[in-house]
This record gives sequence, C-alpha cells and structure tokens, in this order.
Amino acid sequence: MYSRFYLSVLLMSGLVLVTYLVLTAYDGVMPEWKHYQIEYKELLIKNAKDDATRTRAQSMQSGLRQTYLAGLKREDRCVNCHLGVDNPMMADAKLPFKKHSGNYLANHPVDKFGCTVCHDGQGSATTLESAHGKGHGAHWDRPVLPLEYVQSSCAQCHDFDMLSKNGGAKVAGGETLFNEKGCRGCHKVNGRGGSLGKTLDKVGSEPIAYFSMKHVIGDHTVYNWLKRHFEDPQNIMRNSEMKVSLKGSDSALLTMFAMTLRSDEMPKQYRDMKYTPEVKLNGESLYKRYCIACHEDGTRSLYNEIFNRTIPAIRNPAFLKAADDKTLETIIKEGRKSTQMTSWKTVASGVSDEDVKNIIGYLSEKRPAEKYEPFPIPMSQGEPNNGKNIFETHCSVCHGKDGRGGEDRLGVSLRSPVVQKMVNPEFLAATIRDGRSGTPMPPFGKDAIGLGDKDIADVVAYVRAFPK
Amino acid sequence: MNEVEVNEIERSGLSKFTDNLKSLAATVFGSVFRNGSPNSDKARASAIFNNFFLHIQGTKTHINTLRPSYTLGLGLISFFLLVIVVASGIFLMVYYNPSVENAYQSVKNIIYVVFGGNVTRNIHKWAGEGMIIFVLLHMARVFFTGSYKSGREFNWVVGVILLILVFVLNLTGYLLPWDQLSYWALVIVSNIMQSPRELTDSLGITRFFDVGTFSREFFLAGMVPGKESLNRVYLFHVMVLPLIISVFAGIHFWRIRKDGGMTKPDAFSPTVSDSGYAVPPAKTAGIFPTHKTYGLMELARGKTPSVDKDIENMVFSWPNLLIAELAVLMLTLAAVVVYSYYINAPIREFANPLIPENPAKAPWYFLGLQELLSYSAFMGGAGLPMLTLFGLFLIPYLDREQYNVGTWFTDRKGKLIAFEAFVISTVLLIGILVFAVNFGWLRSWFPEIPQLVITLVNPGSIWVGFIIVWSLFVIRRTGSTRMGAMSLFVMFLVSYVILTYFATEMRGPNWGFFWSMSQWPIH
Repeated sequence: MYSRFYLSVLLMSGLVLVTYLVLTAYDGVMPEWKHYQIEYKELLIKNAKDDATRTRAQSMQSGLRQTYLAGLKREDRCVNCHLGVDNPMMADAKLPFKKHSGNYLANHPVDKFGCTVCHDGQGSATTLESAHGKGHGAHWDRPVLPLEYVQSSCAQCHDFDMLSKNGGAKVAGGETLFNEKGCRGCHKVNGRGGSLGKTLDKVGSEPIAYFSMKHVIGDHTVYNWLKRHFEDPQNIMRNSEMKVSLKGSDSALLTMFAMTLRSDEMPKQYRDMKYTPEVKLNGESLYKRYCIACHEDGTRSLYNEIFNRTIPAIRNPAFLKAADDKTLETIIKEGRKSTQMTSWKTVASGVSDEDVKNIIGYLSEKRPAEKYEPFPIPMSQGEPNNGKNIFETHCSVCHGKDGRGGEDRLGVSLRSPVVQKMVNPEFLAATIRDGRSGTPMPPFGKDAIGLGDKDIADVVAYVRAFPK
Repeated sequence: MNEVEVNEIERSGLSKFTDNLKSLAATVFGSVFRNGSPNSDKARASAIFNNFFLHIQGTKTHINTLRPSYTLGLGLISFFLLVIVVASGIFLMVYYNPSVENAYQSVKNIIYVVFGGNVTRNIHKWAGEGMIIFVLLHMARVFFTGSYKSGREFNWVVGVILLILVFVLNLTGYLLPWDQLSYWALVIVSNIMQSPRELTDSLGITRFFDVGTFSREFFLAGMVPGKESLNRVYLFHVMVLPLIISVFAGIHFWRIRKDGGMTKPDAFSPTVSDSGYAVPPAKTAGIFPTHKTYGLMELARGKTPSVDKDIENMVFSWPNLLIAELAVLMLTLAAVVVYSYYINAPIREFANPLIPENPAKAPWYFLGLQELLSYSAFMGGAGLPMLTLFGLFLIPYLDREQYNVGTWFTDRKGKLIAFEAFVISTVLLIGILVFAVNFGWLRSWFPEIPQLVITLVNPGSIWVGFIIVWSLFVIRRTGSTRMGAMSLFVMFLVSYVILTYFATEMRGPNWGFFWSMSQWPIH
C-alpha cells in the first residue's frame, strides 16, 4: 500500500532516469569516433583485393587510439577518425579516411609526430567540432590549419633553405616576401628591425583574443585576420599605420610566413634544422629588408597619406649631393626625431654597423661626382630679416611658417640637425636656386621663380638662424 | 529433554554448518536490517527505529509533512543534490589532477575520453549550482511558513551557515578547471575579498589593520592566482568544506527530529486529497494506544505532554515518508541527469593571465555582489553581504511571534504584506538601477568627492537602508514583527534575483550597460 501520487512520481522519474542513463552509457560505448571506425572497417573489407587483406580487415579492432607526443607531453587522438592516414589503399577515399597526401609521413611517422605538430587543432579532443577547434564556441586558440597554411608549421623544425627545395616552397616564398617588402623596417623579428610596429616574434601563436575580429570578413581565425590585414590593414584596424596592400596570393604567402613566428620552440627530437652562419647580405638586400617599405626605390620623394608627411628620396642624386656618407650614417643611426624614421643603431634595431655601412654604400651609388654649382656670393652676407619675408612668401607653403615641415606638409623640416648643422649653407642656397629633382622642391632661382642670389642668401641666413 | 534439544545433540556438526550456509543470505540480511519486509505496524515502526540511516526520521510522520504543497520537497532536493554532488565528485577526483600544468588537460580528458565523464562532470556542475537555487528556495519556504519559530531558531541559523557553505563550495569548484573562466573568477573573487581595503584606506588604518589583504592572501596563498592558490582551493573543495558541510547538515537534520519534525499549522485537519499522499495506520494492530504517550526524551526537553492531541493525523513513516523521499530522490536524479545530458558545463581556453576576459565576471551566483561592488568595493564586497547575513541570522531572534506557525505567509495580511513588498522592491530596485545607469553616481557629478562618502552613500547602501527602514515602517504600521520580517525577506529575495539577473545579462565589457548579451561589441 503506497501513496499513489508519490509512487507515480517515483516510477515516472525512474523511467526517465533509466532512459537517460542508458543514453549516456550508449554514448560512452558508441562515441562519435566509433561510428567512423565501423565505417572504415566496412570500407577496408570492401576494398580488400585478396583474402589475406580481407581477413586482416575483418580482424580490425575498434577502440580509442592516441599518439602520445612524449616531447610535447600531449596526446593526439585525431587517428580515431582519420583512420587511413598511412594506408596506401585509402588514396582516393573520402575524408576522414583519406590517406595523407604526398610522402610526408615517410619522414614524419604518425606515432612520433602525431598530427597537431603540423596541423594544429585540439589533439586531445574526440569530437569533430572540438578537435578542429574552429569558431568562437570551441574556445580553442589553435584551430586546425587549413591546407593552404599548413606549410607554416614546417618552419618550426626546418630552415627555409631546406624548405624551398623540399616541398616547402610556399612558406619559403613567404619568407622572401617578408624580407623584400621591407617588413622589418617597422617590425622586429628575432630582435632585428624597426620599432614603429609591433614585434612579430610570437604573432603566429598568439591567442585569438589578441586580434580584433570586428571587421574581418569570413572566418574569425588568426590566419584569416592576418590575410585580410595584409590586403588592407586600415580596413581591419582603423588607426593602423601599416603601409601594405598585397594581392591574394602574396597575402596568403605572407600570412603563411607570419604563422611560422611562434613562441614555443619545438623540442629537439622533432627538429631538423641547419643553423648555418648568417649570409652576409649586400647593400641592396639590406635596403629592401629595412628601408624599402617607406622609401620605396628611393628615387622620388613620396607624400605618405598615413604619416601625413613627405618621405625623402634617399637615393636621389640631388639629395645625395647634400648628404655625404657621414651625414647619412648619423641620420640612420640616430633617426629623425618626431618623424617615423626611428633609430637604426645596433642597440635599438639589432642591425650591425657593418650592415648600416653596406646600406649607405648602396644609397650613395648614384651620388654625382661633382657636388653642385658654386654659389656666387658668400653666405655670411645674408640678412635674416629680409630672408624672413621671402621665406614666408615662398617657402612656408610647404615647409610651414616655423619651418618645421612635418605633418600635412610637403616640405621636410628645416629645423633638423641636418639642415641646421651638417650641411654646408652654400649647398642650401644651391638647392633653393636649382630645386631638387625627383622631389616637390622646385627651383627658385632667377631662371625659374625669380629669386636673386642675394635673396636666396638671405633666406639661408634666416633658416640657419632658427632657434635651436 | 524435549525433542528440539535431542535434535541438537543428534545432529552432526557438519550438518549444522551446511544449514547455516543455506540460510546465510537470510541471516546476514536479517542481522543487518533486523526485520524482514515490514507487514505489521510494529514491524514498520521497528524498521525505522532499528536502522541507522532511517532512525533520523520518526517512526510516525504527520500528514502535513507529506503534503507536497507544504514543503515542496525543497530541503530534501537540496540534500539529494548534495549526495549527487558528492558521488559525482568522487568520480571526478579519480581523474582530476590539481596542478596548474595538468588541471586543464585532466578536465579535458574527463570530457573526451573518460567513460561517461562528460555527463558526470555536467552532473557535478549542475547539481552543485542547483544546490544554490534549491537551498535558497528551501530557505524561502521555511521563512514563509514561519518554520524558524517555536524552538527552531537555531536550526535556521544552521541553515544559513549551510547556505554560505554551499556558496563557498560552488565557488571553490568553479576555480578548479584552470581555464579562463576559473582564472578570472579567481581574480574577481580575490578582489572582492580584498574590498575591505577601500574602507581601511579611507580611514587611513590599512597600515595597522589590513584585513582585506589578509583575506586575499589567505584565499590565494599569495597576492596573485597561481599554483599555490589552486592547491589551496582544491583542498578546501574536496576536504575541508565537505567535512564541515556534513557536520552542519547532520546537526540540521538532527535538530529537525528533536524539534518534532516539520512545523504544522495548529488547526490541522486532514482533507480528502491527503489520502493520495498518506496511507493511514492499521488500527487493528493494537500495539499503539490511540493516545500519544511521551517518553523520557520528550520529558527531558521539558515539554508538557499534550495527551490526546494530533495523534489522529500521524501515519507510519514506513512506507509513507520513505516512498515520498524515494520519489523526490528519483525526481531529483532524473532532472539532474536529463539536464546534464543536454547542457554541457562550460570550459574555456587555458588560463592566461595576459588576456583578461572582458567583462571578467564572478560566477553567476556572486554577480549580485559584483554589481554592488561596482558602486563601492567595500559595501559590495564586505559591508552589505555581512549585513545581509547578519540580518538573516537575527531574523528568528528579532521576530518571536508564535502566531500561526506552519501556515504559508501566516495569514491574509501576511500575503498582502509580502505582495506589497514584492511590488515595491521590484519597482524601486529597477528604478535605482535605471537611475545609476543613466545618470551615474556621486563620482560622475563631483569628481573630487572623498571615497568615504561614496562608500557610505551609494545605490547599494541606499537600497539596503531603504529595505531596513521599510521593514521598521511595516512593523510600526501593523504592530507585528513577523510582518516586518516578511517585508525584509521578500525584499532580500527580490534584490538577489534582480541584481543577479541584471549583472549577468545586462553588464557587458567594462561593466557597461547592454540590453542583452547579443549587443556586446564583438572583440
């Protein structure tokens, strides 16, 4: 005799409980991967060409498989579903049973390297969604790499030299692009490069939370962020000063290279890297590596819309007339205050004195032998007061009323140490008279705008008299 | 010499042994349970009386206790959730490793490869958080039926201690997976623990009396979360707190029994529907008198034997109470398992001190505090929670009216007062939140104002002050302390629910206001 109410509650919830315990147990016995293993076994039996293979296929046991990566202290369980990775018969099978492409596995046996060493993803997971780790809901910082970026993993263990010849051409191409586009002009890698941009050493392994995904079209992943960013940086980060706009394939290559820059070093047992002594680079390569991003080929001065200032043409003969090697070295090593030209001293940029010298050698290749047409009157005769009037009429448009040049102006700063101290005043006068070809600086002499030699001398006197 | 004794002598030793062997199952079972399946009232009574686990209950139970509409089974559900949590917790302990290096991966392994591990983890998580909800609901039931009165005052206090323990157990468990949620909750909670500093700083006595930093260090084993914190939190979670909660739960149950079971209305009369919940005793058995008698235990408690009262409304605990308890157990188990089968306990990325979650939020059950904390660290983190707990502890001592104990909301007036408090607190609290969100607070109007003023005058303290004043006003208006307590308690519940909801759903990055989570800026 029991209370009917409680008895029915007891029985009904008992029924529900048993049902869900059975469901839980079923999921325990038949997890997602086991269905793949059953399907794979059927596929094996179907594809068997002779009796021996068929028997072997029929004796296949299903069960949890994992590769323990001793060096990394983690497990890869991908092979629970990707069952045919090293089975040549599965070359044409569908995913996830398909054999691994190429002959990579010959040198990278699955039982030593597992899968995530190259492909990323969450190795310990046993469901598709969490193992691939894609999307915000997966809460995994290293989602599986799409095939187009997998080569970025090769560089963890191999040098680019070796990769360029042995199937890693794309990632090696990315490195070349990185060096030739002058990325190091702003970014440091391995302690070498400019300091305008962010240091890139760990960018390939940074968690997704570091990247603002608000304006990224497509997948919200780090590699997609990088790719879109290389195509149009300001579109991803509105106030970015980065100056680059790569086309599709190039941006993919550079993304691939960026993904190689990871914080964690592979343990020794996985690495096969030749640490060759660094190749001495010639001036041109160095120029490309450190300077080209801003100065381009250096023959024309450029107005940069992001910096809001003019970038001088440093390989322009007219410029080189003014700047001797000593001046160039000072500018390069000290940088230019209040401009984007940062210091390239060894302590600041990691670039050796010898490399700076090589760069200067490359810059000054086109320096004309003869300096400039001598100026007829001595500079000491210039009157600053008259110079002031002329300056305000003719020069301040580009150089600014105070001669500081800088933001939003075409002209360079006339208060820089170069103009004020290092350059011979006579050279300044000659520049005003003849202009500077390849830059917006026009000639102001009698034949052009019509300033007399005396007026020019006055302007020089005024400019040199700027308070320091 | 009779026949039996002759048989004893004549039987060989070996045949005695085989006989014993044959009846082994029956004798072992009998020695453990002392009775077979009870089929008489005496046997039913002795089944309860002689069983260690059952004797915490009376041999007879009042019909009122068996009515689902009276207790709603809330206390039992809380207890069964505790049992479920302990059982699933032991399962998880087998696999979990409390070290910063392995904790996260061991939780992932529980999810991905341990048989039934994911569901068990979910059960542990949801049953644990369910305890918070059901202990609060149970507390509300006890309050509204006036069951903290007539000798049960201290048991109410034990109950409040159990509530605190449930909060702390949940919190310590939240920190164990060592993912982003754990780490940043640890940071927030340690900040809450450090919050008394705001007051000591304003008073300039931090140098001598730095209780905030002390409690933070006590909790974190240092000033920042690290491997020592994890170790300490784990120790609390699996050993210290479970021991303490077992002791207090034991005291809680023991006192219920000693206080004569559940409260019941003075004027109780069984209704027709009661036959659905209880089976009346067999009157024919004749071993129990129709009048209740009192033994030494009751006399020792100084009770006057009130003979010939209430006896008609008692039924045997076996099977009436046991089937009810079993039904609640099964219902709880089924609900937890079904919920856990579908809803996964969250786990984020591995803990990373360099990437703050924005907003970094405490576990949901502390978010009401975090909202108060955003107005004033001291008030939200220490002042108001202390005051609330103090108030909860004192309720049975400040309201000692013994009128209509065991009746929901006491009487018609009580219902009106409770409803009035519900409406007023809902409207006013939402009003205060809207005001604070729209217009800011003192700091936005007088940037130079001393922090001490804000500590004392902020939306949180004003609100709590209002609750107290309103309750005193109700006492004055109705002339009843019970009515004042009723307003106070209703407003406490409403505040907990509204503040928790507000801080969970409407506070986004940088603790800014958003209508819903879907409007948070994507990062």
